[in-house]
Parts: sequence; C-alpha cells; structure tokens
Amino acid sequence: MSTQSRVPVTILTGFLGSGKTTLLNRILTEEHGKRIAVIENEFGEVGIDQALVINADEEVFEMSNGCICCTVRGDLIRVLNNLNKRRDKFDYVLVETTGLADPGPVAQTFFMDDELRAEYALDGIVTLVDAAHIEQQLGRSDESTEQIAFADVLLLNKTDLVPDETLDRVESRIRDMNRMARVVRSERANVPVDAVLDLGAFDLDQVLERRPTFLEPEYPFEWTGVYSLATGRYELSLAEGPDPSMSLVVLPDQGTDDAALREGAEWCVREYAEPSMAIQPGEDIPAGKHVNLQLDSPGRKSFFIDIAAPVRVGLFTQHLPEEFDLQLRNADGESFKMGSNFCSEPDCIEEDAGTRRIKGAAVAAQAERTWVALHEHDDEVGSISIEVDGDADPEKLNAWLGQLLRDRGVDIFRMKGFISVAGESRRFVFQGVHMLFDGQPDREWGDLPRRNQLVFIGRNLDGQSMREGFEACLI
Amino acid sequence: MPDLSASSPMGVLGQGWSAMVGDYAISGGWSRRGEALVVGDAEGGVYSFDGESGATGWERPGVHEGGVLAVAVHPSGAVFATAGQDGRVIIWDAAEGQENRAIDLGSSWVENLAWSPDGRWLAASCSRKVHTYDTDGAEVWRSEDHPSTVSAIAWSGDRELATACYGRVSFFQASTGELRQKLEWQGSLVSMVLTSDGGIVACGSQDNSVHFWRRSTGQDSEMFGYPGKPSALAFDDSNTLLATGGGETVTVWSFRRKGPEGTRPGSLKFHLEPITTLAFAPGAMRLASGGRDGAVVVWSLQRNGKGGPIGAEDLGAPVAELYWRPGGSGLAALDARGGVTVWQIGQARGRIRPPRTAPGLGEDIG
Repeated sequence: MSTQSRVPVTILTGFLGSGKTTLLNRILTEEHGKRIAVIENEFGEVGIDQALVINADEEVFEMSNGCICCTVRGDLIRVLNNLNKRRDKFDYVLVETTGLADPGPVAQTFFMDDELRAEYALDGIVTLVDAAHIEQQLGRSDESTEQIAFADVLLLNKTDLVPDETLDRVESRIRDMNRMARVVRSERANVPVDAVLDLGAFDLDQVLERRPTFLEPEYPFEWTGVYSLATGRYELSLAEGPDPSMSLVVLPDQGTDDAALREGAEWCVREYAEPSMAIQPGEDIPAGKHVNLQLDSPGRKSFFIDIAAPVRVGLFTQHLPEEFDLQLRNADGESFKMGSNFCSEPDCIEEDAGTRRIKGAAVAAQAERTWVALHEHDDEVGSISIEVDGDADPEKLNAWLGQLLRDRGVDIFRMKGFISVAGESRRFVFQGVHMLFDGQPDREWGDLPRRNQLVFIGRNLDGQSMREGFEACLI
Repeated sequence: MPDLSASSPMGVLGQGWSAMVGDYAISGGWSRRGEALVVGDAEGGVYSFDGESGATGWERPGVHEGGVLAVAVHPSGAVFATAGQDGRVIIWDAAEGQENRAIDLGSSWVENLAWSPDGRWLAASCSRKVHTYDTDGAEVWRSEDHPSTVSAIAWSGDRELATACYGRVSFFQASTGELRQKLEWQGSLVSMVLTSDGGIVACGSQDNSVHFWRRSTGQDSEMFGYPGKPSALAFDDSNTLLATGGGETVTVWSFRRKGPEGTRPGSLKFHLEPITTLAFAPGAMRLASGGRDGAVVVWSLQRNGKGGPIGAEDLGAPVAELYWRPGGSGLAALDARGGVTVWQIGQARGRIRPPRTAPGLGEDIG
C-alpha cells in the first residue's frame, strides 16, 4: 500500500470554549471539494450535510504493560477502521476531541494500530487557544499544557477579547512551550482552511520555511537597555542577587528601533560566545567586550563605565535588571533604576541629554526590551532544538536515541527532524510521539550542507545533555 | 501477493461460483441449511445467493444507511438478522428477503449480533450495552452500560451470553440478563471466542497478545509475541485447538493435556500479509484462513496444532470473512472489493506448495 493513498487526519484539540466547533463548522462550510468525515467526542453543534459526523465516546485504552506510549483511543480504531471499508472513501478525517482530552493517545493511535497506520496518516494537530483564558488554564491543568505541546498549529483565538499586550504575552508564552508549532491569530476561528488542513505538518521543511530561525539558540541574554550618556564617568551598581556573577556586554552606538536592537543582539550573541573577562567590583567595564561581573561578595557592588564622548550605549545583560536591583548612577551622584521606569517616549531624553547631568535629573533608558529565553516563564514544557553539521554514525545514533526514548519518552511529547546519516545519500527524516519513533530516508542531500536538525517538545528536557548526546554520535 | 494465479484454485478448493455485492462484503452466513448464502455490504445492502449456482435469490440495496456491520443467521437457517451504522437491527425471512422486524436502537452503531445455539435468543451490542431479543424481535433484557464499547459477543452454550470490552469479559444469564461472572484484565479486548461448552474463553488484545481464561478454575494465561493484534480467533469442534491471527502466521495452540501453557504452537506460514479471518471446518481437522494479501488457504491440522496447506486461492483483494457451508462441503469467502466466492471442497491430495516466504523488498515500495 502506498503512503500517498493514506487518508490524512487532522486532530482538533482545545479547551471547552476555545472555538473548536466554530472552526469545524467553518471548515465544513468552505468550498474545498473534500469528502470529510468528522469524529466528534463532544456533542457540538455541527449541522452540516456534506460531512459524515460520527459521535463516539472518547475511550482511552491503557495496556497491561502500563506504558503510556501504548495507550490508544479505542473509539478511533473502531470507527476509522470501519469507515475505511467503504469504496467511496473519505478524502479527509477530522477528529474533534473533548476539551480535556490528552492528545498523546489520539496521536499514538495512528502509530500503534497496524490497520490504522496502513490506511491513515496523521496530518497535524491543531490546538485552539482561548486568548482570554489560556493563562488561567495553563496554571490549572496538565491537559491544557499538553495540548499546546503536541500542536503543529496553535490557533490563538478570540483575539478580539483581549488587549494587545496580553496577546503578545500569551503568544510569547505558548511559542516558548512549543517552538515547532506555527502560531496563527484569529478572532472567531476565522482562518483560511489551508492554515489547518493538509499541513503536511510532519514535514520539517515546511516548518523551517515558515520560520527559518526557529532552530536558533535562544539569546544568552535576557534584557537590553539603551541609554544616551553624556561624557563622564558612570557607576553600575548591583545588589545581591540569585547568581554569583552576571555576564554583560556594553555595546556602543546602539540604536533604539527593533531592527537596530536585533542587529545589536546578533552582534552580542557572537560576543557572548567568546570567553568572558572577569571584572571585580570597583574595576572599569570595557566597551564591546563580553565581561562577567563578579558578584559573590556581600552587599551592593559597583562597576564603572567611562564615557569619553556623548554616545548611546546598549547594555545586554544576562539576567533581568530587577533580579539584582541594577542601577546606573553617574559618578556625580545622580542615580536611577534601570529596567523599572524606562521612558515611554523614546525621544524625550535625547533632546536634553547634554543638560541632564547639570540639572541633576535622572537619565532613563531610551529603549528597553527583553529577549525570549527558554526560562522566561516557569512552564515545565519547552522545546529543545539541536542543529549541528556532520554525519551521524547509525549505530551510535540508534543507541543514543533508543536510550533517550526509553529514559525520557514519557516526557517527550513530540519530536521531528532530519539527520545526516553517514554513508546515506538521502536525508533521514523522523518524527515521533513519546517513545514511538517513525523515520525513513527522504530526498537526496545533493548540494545542501549535511546538517542535522532535531526538535523535541517535552517536559523538563535537558537540552545541554541532549545536544552533547547527539554530538557524540557524529563521526 | 502470493504466487497464486487469481483464477485457479489449488488443492482441495474446487471450482464453485462467484458473485459481487455493491461494496466491501462485511459479513454474511449460510442460510437455509446451506441452500443460500446471505451477505451484507458496506453500502448497507443485503443479498442472498443460491448456494449451488450463485444465482442471486434476492437483493435489498441500501437497507442500513452507512453500511452493514453484522449479519447472523439463525441456527434453523430460516431467519437471519442484520445490523448496521444506522443503529438498527433487522430480522429477515431468509427465503423471501422480507423484513420480519426492524428494531431501532438509536443513533449508535450496532456492531455485533449472535443467535444462541438453540435459536431462542438474539443478542445485539450497541455502544456500551448489549440487548437480547426473542426470535420475533421482542426485547428480553438489556444490560447496564459496560465500561467501554462492547467489542465482541458470543454465546456460552444456550444459557449464557459473553461480552468483551476494554478490560473485561462479562457473562450474563441468557433468560434474565443477570451478570454472573466478570473476568477482568487490563487490556483492550478486540476479539473473543469460546469453546462450544463455554469452558474456555479466549480474547485477542490490542497489545498484540491473546488472553484466555479457564472458567471452571478462573485460571488465566496470556500468549504474547504476536507482531499484530489478534483480531481473528477460532476454536475447533473438539474444543482443543485455538487458531489465532495477529500477523502473517496462523498460530495454533493445542489445549490437549496441560497445554497450551509451556507448549510450542503450530505455526502455519503461507500468507504474506496479516490474517483477517479464521474458520474451522465442522467436524474435521481443517482450518481456513484469509488474509489482507487476498489469499484463502485451507490447512490440514494435527492434534498438536501443527499442519500444512492443502488448498489455496488468491482473491486479489483483502479477505473479510470465511464461512464453511454446513457439513463442510463448501467454503465461502467475502472480500474487500465486494467479491463473494464459493468453492466446492474436494479430496485432499497432499500438501500444496507455499509461495515465496517474503515479498521482495523493492516490489512493495512505491
């Protein structure tokens, strides 16, 4: 049986009230020329004639071996194996789960049952997120977290009901949890059908095409503040904080718009990759260097920055300023807090920057931003990406992956990627759910650089040891 | 596909007849003591064919909207029942194809039907409940909800009905519906067979094992190591051989003496794709197997479960069900393309040659 003829399946998950039924009705009323079968576990209000709607009770079947990866959805096995017998088969299957459904068994069903696996292909998991309520839900339920972690598409819905700041905050949080998924915003689930169907979601190419930088390492710094400083000597002081040291780069000629900030950040990423220079309290901080402020002595510590000519500097700090009550004080005694009271009107300071010291008024940041870092929120669920050039030894790879899935499979929700296997002219493409792993050679590498790209979404994953583990498989 | 030509039966499978129904032939049975074969299909049609010639006796297309799910012929052969995705059970007069009674159970699928061996009761499972009816279709009792959808039903003699669902086999008293015994085991039971005396119940499980219980002692055992889920199971008339699918190989366990625990099963290799259905011939040590590869194979077995193929044909489409004609003089096969094939069973002239043992790797890809 050929893979092409398998019927694609999209799973719709999301809490009650997130808009699953609205989306479903939208898909079904759209002219798409598909014969769609819908399996509903919740009595929604789907009233569409073109589609066959089958109501089935959600039946989660755990096996006697206790393995959560073997847990399947009996209702789907029964219904889908039966639907497949018809000559006029369906072109597409949509499974609408209950709000509290664990997406794991739903996805696993398409790997675990041999009959289903032969006839159906999981196209993607679409999770609807109620922008107004997701923050409370994430605090309260594991299901909500897992629905986000398993998703190929995160539909941030009901955007009209919350202010933009909330939306940005929510989007940043769900992106952090699942960097593999595409985030789409919508008001009443009003998204184009092709944003949720026929995703070929397991094709990592598409993910990379959409967001080519998603595999980049997170920034090694959490915060940047941009200051216009007049000629003179400045004192940077830090109270006792959570860490015995903090890395910092003081970057001259830093712009304040987003493009300039990103450019500065890219430059600083390279600088951060260099070994740091330890700076003791009382010493000067050189500009443009990766320094590491030594903070292990008790009390407030001061470091100094000399400004020879008026300049706008960016401070790229490893941690957030409030963690150390970071303050910049000009040597004449004027002091101001950083990070807590930045000016919302970027140009107001520059105009009178030269007079500020004389007047004795506080200098404030002209611009400030935080960078999305994996530990920005306390969510246990996150994404680990590994990107490295080279060829992997198949035996070592097998041993590493086998061990990883045995030890951590329970906590790995999704994984996908390409691997460059030594002696194989084609890319090895894989995907998986928990311990279930499915992979095969894909297209020829040709002239493309033989680069391994792996993404894991899971709970409390140790990215560093996983990266090292994979790198040890390289020849 | 096996090395069998699609048009020439081999060994004991002698030329018979073939016919077509509208879509995937889901279920059926020999009615009127082998004079006719009734078949239900995925389009919801019900058909009757003459047992000797294959001529269409009558046809009733589109009876069960959404498709037929089960067909069960009454032991007398005079009436039979069908059930489908439309949530209905219909009791038919086999000769005329008239509906004697239609029972509406609601919107859920009615997936399993079985008449008691004495013909007094008809059991039907629908979602989490099982219902029983008398021959006129009047409901006798219905069960409480099972923990999950009932996946299989079977009569244990005339006095008890067994049901299988996730984690449990239940036994109900036939006349009252009283729950008499529960055998529990954490697993998704996808198939069930009982010995004719009801003493042993065996279930195939989603986790690729067969679990069985000896009811007298409550002792249970598990047979594992199957590559797939054993959805096809069959006990022979002597109640000592249990044939199981769960892969390309038919595995036959012998319950003689202290078996099957600690014994090696018969391992019957011929099919190239997983087994879909198994049926023992009445009163003979013969087993018929059908597979997703389209092959139908007849096996001659020994008491220890070992044996060899004595007849085969390739139907060219996955085999859905196999039914021995009463008396064992014929074998009917239903297939996924809607084909209905009946063979006359001849004298065995010794073993036939199995096909290649594995498909060529390059041929199956692409």
